[in-house]
Amino acid sequence: MTDLQDNEARRRWLAVLARAPREALERAHQGLAAPAEAVRRPETGMVMLRGRVGGTGDAFNLGEASVTRCAMQVGEHLGVGYTLGRDKRKAELIALFDALLQDRARQPVLISEVIEPLAQAQAAAREAQARAVAASRVDFFTLVRGEA
Amino acid sequence: MIAAGLHDTVHGAQEAFRAALQALSRPGRPQPLGREIAGVRLGGAMAHLLLTLCDEDTPVWWQPPDAQLQQWLRFHTGARVAGSAAEAAFAVVTDPDHLPALEAFAAGTLAQPERSCTLLVEVPSLQGGEPVLAHGPGIAGRQELAIAGLPHGFWAQWQVNHAAFPQGVDVFFTCGAQLVGLPRTARVARPAEV
Repeated sequence: MTDLQDNEARRRWLAVLARAPREALERAHQGLAAPAEAVRRPETGMVMLRGRVGGTGDAFNLGEASVTRCAMQVGEHLGVGYTLGRDKRKAELIALFDALLQDRARQPVLISEVIEPLAQAQAAAREAQARAVAASRVDFFTLVRGEA
Repeated sequence: MIAAGLHDTVHGAQEAFRAALQALSRPGRPQPLGREIAGVRLGGAMAHLLLTLCDEDTPVWWQPPDAQLQQWLRFHTGARVAGSAAEAAFAVVTDPDHLPALEAFAAGTLAQPERSCTLLVEVPSLQGGEPVLAHGPGIAGRQELAIAGLPHGFWAQWQVNHAAFPQGVDVFFTCGAQLVGLPRTARVARPAEV
């Protein structure tokens, strides 16, 4: 695998982990205990969320969100965890999983047993939400005024 | 592999900042500061000072450069490596034999004397070197200093540095878990000259 594919895969599992509920991560982490050392203990800070006017226009600052981050060293791998909110344990779990997932020997099993089920659950939840919203969707449109 | 930072970021940094403040207000008097951090090839005082003082706005110049330490500091504080001694906000000197001339570092301007460099120098010992006497603000009477391992002519350069007040550099000498401050206000003379 090239570095680029590695980065892409890592980005994906970090995104899935960040959206996963803490309980699910805690359950999945049981039995995976590996000696780990905190390089950066979980800490909470803020990030500025930026948006674009109408989706494509000028950038503007939407507001700040609290983010918790953590870095753990497991063996030779450094795992990082970032998550919205102030859940320190969750940030730590994400960092632990990130470090374990970088270990090629463990990666395939972890991907198929932890990341994929979480990703599927998240996709299903998103779809259910989209369906619920679509049912009550109203399209607004404006008729051309007759002055032209 | 990146070593850990401060064990307790908030209180650790407060403690180190207090020690730095104390060291500069009592020039020449050793202050105790944190123990060594596992995996960091720096004295405890030096490591704690760096983690406390540096951030993304303070380029750090290293003598000698050590990629592992630079990465460690960057990870924990965001401080980048300065391209030259002149643009550094902090200079880390762990090889005092090759300490560049003090004029090589930023001395600030008359309007903004705070834009000067602060030198952090790890010396082999805070005692047993060439004895000098310091006086000035924060020193009742005279304070003897005998920092070992300084390059020849350092105190002559220091006199020039002091004369340029309010411009000039400030120095922290560290040795293991000990810290000695030497602000630009300190006037230093050899015992024979007093």
